Amino acid sequence: MPFVTWLKRHLVVIAGLLTLSYLLLPNVIVTVFSFNRPKGRFNYEWQQFSLDAWRQPCGVADMCGSLSISLQIAVWATVGATLLGTMIAFALVRYRFRARGAVNSLIFLPMAMPEVVMAASLLTLFLNMGAQLGFWTILIAHIMFCLSFVVTAVKARVMSMDPRLEEAARDLYAGPAQTFLRVTLPIAAPGIAAGALLSFALSFDDFIITNFNAGSTVTFPMFVWGSAQRGTPVQINVIGTAMFLVAVLFVLASMLIGNRRNRQKA
Amino acid sequence: MTTTDNSGDVRLSGIGKTYGSFTAVHPLDLTVPQGSFFALLGASGCGKTTTLRMIAGLEEPTQGTVHLGDQDVTHLPPYKRPVNTVFQSYALFPHLDIFENVAFGLRRRGIKSVKKQVEEMLELVQLGEQARKKPHQLSGGQQQRVAVARALINHPKVLLLDEPLGALDLKLRRQMQLELKRIQTEVGITFVHVTHDQEEAMTMADTVAVMNAGRVEQLGSPADLYENPGTTFVANFLGTSNLIEAEVDSTSGDDLVLKAGGGKLVLPRARCSAPATAGGKVLVGVRPEKISLTHADDAGEIPEGRNRLTGKIADASFIGVSTQYVVESPVCDELAVYVQNVERDGRLVPGADVVLHWSPAHTFGLDAAQDIDAGVETLEEEAA
Amino acid sequence: MSTLTEAPPPLASAAPAKKPPRRRGRLTPYWLLLPGILWLVVFFALPMVYQASTSVQTGSLEEGYKVTWHLATYWDALAEYWPQFLRSVLYAAAATVLCLLLGYPLAYLIAFRAGRWRNLIMILVIAPFFTSFLIRTLAWKTILADNSPVVHTLNTLHVLDLTSALGWTAGDRVLATPLAVVCGLTYNFLPFMILPLYTSLERIDGRLHEAAGDLYARPWTTFRKVTFPLSMPGVVSGTLLTFIPAAGDYVNAELLGSTDTRMIGNVIQTQFLRILDYPTAAALSFILMAAILAMVTLYIRRSGTEDLV
Repeated sequence: MPFVTWLKRHLVVIAGLLTLSYLLLPNVIVTVFSFNRPKGRFNYEWQQFSLDAWRQPCGVADMCGSLSISLQIAVWATVGATLLGTMIAFALVRYRFRARGAVNSLIFLPMAMPEVVMAASLLTLFLNMGAQLGFWTILIAHIMFCLSFVVTAVKARVMSMDPRLEEAARDLYAGPAQTFLRVTLPIAAPGIAAGALLSFALSFDDFIITNFNAGSTVTFPMFVWGSAQRGTPVQINVIGTAMFLVAVLFVLASMLIGNRRNRQKA
Repeated sequence: MTTTDNSGDVRLSGIGKTYGSFTAVHPLDLTVPQGSFFALLGASGCGKTTTLRMIAGLEEPTQGTVHLGDQDVTHLPPYKRPVNTVFQSYALFPHLDIFENVAFGLRRRGIKSVKKQVEEMLELVQLGEQARKKPHQLSGGQQQRVAVARALINHPKVLLLDEPLGALDLKLRRQMQLELKRIQTEVGITFVHVTHDQEEAMTMADTVAVMNAGRVEQLGSPADLYENPGTTFVANFLGTSNLIEAEVDSTSGDDLVLKAGGGKLVLPRARCSAPATAGGKVLVGVRPEKISLTHADDAGEIPEGRNRLTGKIADASFIGVSTQYVVESPVCDELAVYVQNVERDGRLVPGADVVLHWSPAHTFGLDAAQDIDAGVETLEEEAA
Repeated sequence: MSTLTEAPPPLASAAPAKKPPRRRGRLTPYWLLLPGILWLVVFFALPMVYQASTSVQTGSLEEGYKVTWHLATYWDALAEYWPQFLRSVLYAAAATVLCLLLGYPLAYLIAFRAGRWRNLIMILVIAPFFTSFLIRTLAWKTILADNSPVVHTLNTLHVLDLTSALGWTAGDRVLATPLAVVCGLTYNFLPFMILPLYTSLERIDGRLHEAAGDLYARPWTTFRKVTFPLSMPGVVSGTLLTFIPAAGDYVNAELLGSTDTRMIGNVIQTQFLRILDYPTAAALSFILMAAILAMVTLYIRRSGTEDLV
């Protein structure tokens, strides 16, 4: 029975592709429904094709404002977490110091903690300090939970780096600053970039911690959450689709450029 | 650079390195003269790399000083020393192309127009075509040449080589040994070369320091070290030695007469590094290729004045240019004997009774207080 | 030993000669650590202390709260909300197992069978991240709606009869049932399972499969005896990265579930942000944290891995 043999041989591939479709199905729905013209307030049922939402992506009150707030917070959180996290990662890999175990635990715990616990405890702190909830409290929270991920990403990269490269630089007349700028930093760059990208994605998409500490500030995920109660505008799907496409195109483009560069050099 | 210039001398005075309670290098004095090709030879962990790194400035000595010519560089950071290193596995910068790797040192010293120099250097190591490739696109041998070019372009006073050929296969290694030797002769820079490969050290260097457990065991020319080892470690680590326990019987003129088993052996006093008084113990050594084998039936034909031992062939392996015998003898379980395949005696097969004999001038004497097998194990690991 | 030139070990020079001038690097690690660690101490560790203190306070919003070591809050909270705790653990465990079952074949496919499609599939696994997860979770409302093709098919095949009998679904509906919530949790945290699995699978030398085959192992045996054991680090970190956030999640239960599927996250959120009963909310949060940490520690001990990511 050739079909059974074929099935056996490709079982893993079939199962894997099924999982992949499970992962992608919601994105397909989001994209399709960005061309919907719903009857009522909720965009859950297909009615008829329309380009309205794409023509006026900011046609919904407050949505693009929330998008802008989310982007700003994501950018600053990325900058902050990447800077602080990279410094910690270098200290951890390159130096011996006391309380190393405690530092490692402090880095590890935020990743092993349910978001709702961090969100709630941070809120108790802010309430106790009488802090004004809003942009700054969100930013503080985002830097806090992105930090550990940056440390992990950069640490992995710096650890895999041959210490002899820096010795070679020093041997070739590069002082400490030159060694760091010309050798260490360029080689650690992919790890730092990965940490930064992860920070941006985590911050931009965060809902739970933001929900607790936002006060009356509305980020894009908070806007979506609110609209799930009040009514979901089609423009949400437009934004979701656009972000997906931009991400895929960005990655594809960088891969193509990388490929071409390699081919030229070979 | 003239030959009288001593700015390329490396002088280590009482230099030592300890990590906590572990002593990596015991305080040692060493002078490497300008223009020489000097090898630090030893098994891994013997302190040879630490010594090299102290010269490079990558490791700070716990005590002692490093001089380059007349300049004390002990506390100078590596980037201020006129010394460059070819690192183990090369440490080429993966994010820079070959050109920029080679230009790195020049640029750090603020030299603007590097193009001509770099191109000339790449021509010298036959890599002109590869200038714009990244290191990972080159073969091991090419990477090795880039590492050499990257260091040499700075015209260092001393070039340090840390196991530079360790990552290459045997054939390429032989080729690069000759290549490095040629470059050294051409540029006249002092080379200090760290290696665990005794053949490599002997092929390339004019002076070899054999290191063991953080100390220099012996220092000298390759031939000197091989013919007249001063310790059991050197005797065993460089090639193979037969070491026989013996007792000093008497002295006659410049020679010592020793008792081993039932027989007598003669050893020139000058070739004995141990204090020898009548009744004292020494180790008698002789290299396998110095020994001749004669079948017991022909024992009468052996000329007078040669040291002799009797034994029985335990094993014989045909190597091509020579045959290697293992001989059981009353004084030593396993004596190695290498016989050139010129006229093969058909009777010399396992089980045959033989007489081993050699010239007293090829005998050396060592202090019997040492471990007789020092340096042996490492050699076997190397062969494996 | 005439050629051996070894200085006599001088006792005096054993003491450090003149101290070299460059010794200022000792404080560098602390300067590097300071800002980031301070941030984590103030905004991660300190809040935990505040939360612990809040949980043993009594009082009201109007009159303010005081620490009275009122530990009864913990008993009351547990007595009232143990079903939500239990549900959180069950849903998160179910989602974790589903993630492992679904994620493993895909990770395996990317690592060993994808060939030149590897990068494309990787992009497709990661790219959905860039669409806000709330939008994607809302899409499940459409997929699992009562008259959707998926639910229709499940009804026709009488699958829902079975799941309803088990209490996973209600009648011919999927939305607003435990199944919908677990489905959403599985979907949301699947990439956190796939990526660590892929990382540890990718490290496995392909020749090991050939060696196992050469030594008379059938493909399934090869998987059980070679591939799976070697992928354990990925399995451990994948299950942790799935279970921990799933247990604290309240978004899926809120959007895809009903009042009968409320998880502990929903309770904490409501207590904190709507009812404003801070001591109870803090106690619940503290219990959740302790429970998760205890489970994670136990799990890491048993599986012998120290790395989470």
